[in-house]
Amino acid sequence: MAAQTHMATQAQPPRLVAPEGVSAASGSMFAEILWVAGRSLRKLTRNPMVLFFSLMTPVIWLVLFSQMFAKLFAQGASGGVALPYDYVAVMLPGVATMTTIQSASQSGFGMVADIESGFMDKFFVSPIRRSSVLSGKLLADGLRMAAQATLILLIAFFFKLVAGWRIPFATGILGAALLVVLTAAFGVAFSGLSNAVALRTKNTEATMMVSFSLTFPLLFLSTAMLPKGLLPGWVQAFSAVNPVSYLADASRDLILTGYDWAEVGSAAVAIVILGAILNGFAVSAFRAQGK
Amino acid sequence: MASKQQEPGAGADQSNGTGGDGAAIIAVQDLVKVYGGGHGPGRQEPVRALAGLGFSVKAGEFFGFLGPNGSGKTTSIRIITTLLAKTSGTVRVAGYDLEREPEAIRRVIGYTGQSIGVDGELTGRENLTLLGRLYHLPAATVKTRVEEVLTVLDLTEAANRPAYTYSGGMRRRLDLGSGLLHYPRILFLDEPTTGLDPQTRNAVWEYLRHLHKEQDMTIFLTTQYMEEADQLCQRLAIIDKGQIVAEGTPAQLKAEIGADVITVRIPRDAAFENARDRALALVRGIPTVKRAAVFDEGISVHAENGGATLLDIVRMMDAENLPIHHVALSHPSLDEVFLQHTGRAMRVEEVKPMSRMPFNRRRR
Repeated sequence: MAAQTHMATQAQPPRLVAPEGVSAASGSMFAEILWVAGRSLRKLTRNPMVLFFSLMTPVIWLVLFSQMFAKLFAQGASGGVALPYDYVAVMLPGVATMTTIQSASQSGFGMVADIESGFMDKFFVSPIRRSSVLSGKLLADGLRMAAQATLILLIAFFFKLVAGWRIPFATGILGAALLVVLTAAFGVAFSGLSNAVALRTKNTEATMMVSFSLTFPLLFLSTAMLPKGLLPGWVQAFSAVNPVSYLADASRDLILTGYDWAEVGSAAVAIVILGAILNGFAVSAFRAQGK
Repeated sequence: MASKQQEPGAGADQSNGTGGDGAAIIAVQDLVKVYGGGHGPGRQEPVRALAGLGFSVKAGEFFGFLGPNGSGKTTSIRIITTLLAKTSGTVRVAGYDLEREPEAIRRVIGYTGQSIGVDGELTGRENLTLLGRLYHLPAATVKTRVEEVLTVLDLTEAANRPAYTYSGGMRRRLDLGSGLLHYPRILFLDEPTTGLDPQTRNAVWEYLRHLHKEQDMTIFLTTQYMEEADQLCQRLAIIDKGQIVAEGTPAQLKAEIGADVITVRIPRDAAFENARDRALALVRGIPTVKRAAVFDEGISVHAENGGATLLDIVRMMDAENLPIHHVALSHPSLDEVFLQHTGRAMRVEEVKPMSRMPFNRRRR
């Protein structure tokens, strides 16, 4: 009881009394999603180095590999006839795709961290819709992936200007914007896998293993790095059912030749199907929290 | 052994504050939680974490759950705060049914979990602002409220620093603050001082007393510390193996023992059990002894005039060549209450803050 006497001698902090008419209420789902997304994006700005290094790999691919394989590609693709563009133009959409797949693979990490720290409980004990927590996270992820894809295109454009890289950018800024949207949408769709694994295992290592072991097979068993005609037969067969190929083909046309709405349409369908399946897993894993 | 010790005339007053009391702000009946027991590989045997819990808390009360790790404290509080699904039973909070109106419950409760749910990359002010907005309060209200909470919790100076730079005590305070932003009527605290140093613990206690007194806030706290329950709670329930074994005010619970407590510890060698049984028989023959029982390290004796009885016990055991490892005389504390109701001494397993960091799953 000594502690109580001690307290009485302390200066009293202000009274916490609810103002008239103020009470927690339910409200717009849109606002909820924005708050959750805003938090994720704000965290991103606290770690500019992470954002910077997430762009190191794609830049290395663009600068190093595109140059290394340029000659090989020129011979393989045209049988010696000079092409109006460099290999880097073929590879550019692939590199954007690769970056977005990597980001999507890491999407679940934040989920695990929030569950472990107990921050997720703060969301769950508040009256916001549970779906807003997932949607907000996906929105932030999508914006981040769009920013990454934009930066990759800008870097390529920069080299086109200063180093004379032959990249047609056949559809201009609008086409580039479409490429960015498709790439980010694919990333959001694919991140369902990482989030589902994260929510089921609540384990960073498991989430990392599943995502990393899938990234490269998906990438190289697709048309992301080489057009279909240059792939071995069995890879061609697999790439036809690999959703990555649909994104890569549509993106590549936007860079090399122009709008091919059939390609863009198939890519959109592939993204919607992939997203529905993988995010379906994520939603069901999310619903199972607290069971 | 059975969780609920039946001892005629000495049992806790189970009806205290429960039953058809209209003022009950938390009412729990037959709450059962069974973990696991699913199918597929890696599933464990089902664990019955709560075995039919029933209690109620009155509006404005400071109520506590006292029990060791694994007794079901966290499971109960997570179910009542809508974070965990129950297996069966009914729960009503502030008049709302847990199953049908979880969202209404979420609006009127504040919750501070065992792990400190603070985003280290955001500043203290950003943490509070975000969590305040989640309650759909007007932006201006959140802004004022965040400053109020920062002031009350003495975090104004550190408000613009990322929370990862905070000390453990500051983080705990920030966490506490995040449960207060929406003017909750009921505050749930799951082991709010576990892992804190004594000084910070005292500070947290003072904040809690302040909140309870100044705001007429109902507070439901779980703890494994006898002292904490004794100091803070107006009424408490002792929980063991998923069941409430005793309930009442700290004074009532201690008064039940109604005598001094003598604890005789016997060396734990091969002859331990034999020696313990013989000691028990001897002690029961002493007229001043009201009750005597064995526990895992010796015997525990309730007696009037404890000093004289202690001497009698020592003399008698010595005459019979019964070994004694340690003798203690004490006035009844919640330790004795726990011992009497469970047949075990309560041990606090101190969890180092580090072990609750990323690589471990949360304890239940």
